[in-house]
Amino acid sequence: MSVAAGGGGGEPAVDPKKLLALGLIGGLLGIYATPINPILGPLLAALGAVCAIVWGADAIARVASYGLGTGVPSIGYMSLAIGIIGVLAGLAGGIWIGPAYVLLAPLIGLILAVVLGGVVALVGKRVVGMKIPILVSCTMELAGASALSVLGFSAAIAGSYAMPAILVSVVSTGFIGLLFIMNTMAIQHPFNACLGPQENRVRTLKLAASTAFFAMTIVGILGIGYTTAWWVIAVIGAIAWFISIRAFLQASAEESASVAWTGWWPEEEEH
Amino acid sequence: MDPLIMIGAVTVAGVLIGGGVHFIPVGGAPAAIATATGVGTGTAMLAAGGGMTGLITAAAMTGSPLWLILAAGAAGSALMLAVTMLVGNWVYVWGVGCVPVSAKVDTDPLTKLPQDKYVTPGTEGHGIPTVCFVSGVIGGLLGGIGGGLAYWAIYESLVTLPAYIPLIAGKASLAAAMLAGIFALGLFFINAVIASYNIGGTIEGFHDPKFKRLPRGVLACLIASLVTGLIGVLLLMGGVF
Repeated sequence: MSVAAGGGGGEPAVDPKKLLALGLIGGLLGIYATPINPILGPLLAALGAVCAIVWGADAIARVASYGLGTGVPSIGYMSLAIGIIGVLAGLAGGIWIGPAYVLLAPLIGLILAVVLGGVVALVGKRVVGMKIPILVSCTMELAGASALSVLGFSAAIAGSYAMPAILVSVVSTGFIGLLFIMNTMAIQHPFNACLGPQENRVRTLKLAASTAFFAMTIVGILGIGYTTAWWVIAVIGAIAWFISIRAFLQASAEESASVAWTGWWPEEEEH
Repeated sequence: MDPLIMIGAVTVAGVLIGGGVHFIPVGGAPAAIATATGVGTGTAMLAAGGGMTGLITAAAMTGSPLWLILAAGAAGSALMLAVTMLVGNWVYVWGVGCVPVSAKVDTDPLTKLPQDKYVTPGTEGHGIPTVCFVSGVIGGLLGGIGGGLAYWAIYESLVTLPAYIPLIAGKASLAAAMLAGIFALGLFFINAVIASYNIGGTIEGFHDPKFKRLPRGVLACLIASLVTGLIGVLLLMGGVF
């Protein structure tokens, strides 16, 4: 099975460095802004996760354009697995170093995820013999984006990025499993749905924004009982989802050759 | 538990999972339109189904002896894959209307039934013939044992720490079980995808020529799981808050 993906390293419509900066800086700023205010903080954390998801969707589009042979979702699941392992180990590791270093915990989680992503991609390239030139860099980016998206949504639910709070409200409740699959979908679905010879990266990213905001809406609902900001996150996520999915549908209609209504099937079966 | 034993258990678990994936008949998109043998989906979906079921059954045995947890994980994963393959075969036989047949061998190595006569020209077989089914169940057993082993190692390491003390009915710690479960699930996905890179997306089972790549896949999973285990030690070190 090979993915019939278009391009293959062509000139991208959107500068990957800009998206990297958006995801990395936006994601980290959002997560570190969590404690500033009980309403605004979790909202910013959720928005940081949205930035990370858009970055991840672009990274997956770049690496999957080469045709992984296993489908687009597989690398999405793998990077979310790497991201979650990195984040949980990083948050716990921040506590181990000392109480003064809890501030470093999200950064350690991000670095651990990126390192593990790099190791897995190197194994894929050197041992398994994958022939994708940008595999290592893109997997590292994907792992980082996954880690920040999980961390951002976890911080939005828990109202804090410290391990004890996340352990109680995200891990023990099982929301972490939901975040695993939901963020995988949000990151891998846009390119999986839009790939092909006429793939337009701007359109793909519009879909990425809509999946990310949809995930944010669900995260807001999950936060009922854990954060007072849950309704703000859910409402703003829903409004932003509506705007972004509308933009995506309009872009799809504009770029299609024509949009025609085929009518219903005939009343009686023709023999 | 000693962190070194945990790293060792996680590494062995990763190797079992990665090796197990090589046995599972992953058909991918061609199988979804019945033009290749195997289950018509990718490795990630089969890992999600088999892995999660195995982890749930393994976690249900929390607090039991190790062999019981491993047996529960193996039974859960193998059962889930067996059901997936069986129901898939119903769709292929009664829905699509084709014979379960392998194009990689002339006669089925287990039942000795002829295969090549029944392969539709232009396709690479259809459905899940006996040899693929048995191979898939073996893969599910291996993967389930791996998942159960990783879950057991992390849970037993975490549950002794003061941070995970609140116990349900004085027996199990919910936080430790969830953390161990999500960590084992992550390990499952990482190794399943590395193994699927190794087999190039599709494989029929142990009779497939691609199965000869197993040693390379096992080595790749060994390295990746070792690093994952090393990172996992931070969970134990940081669990003392």
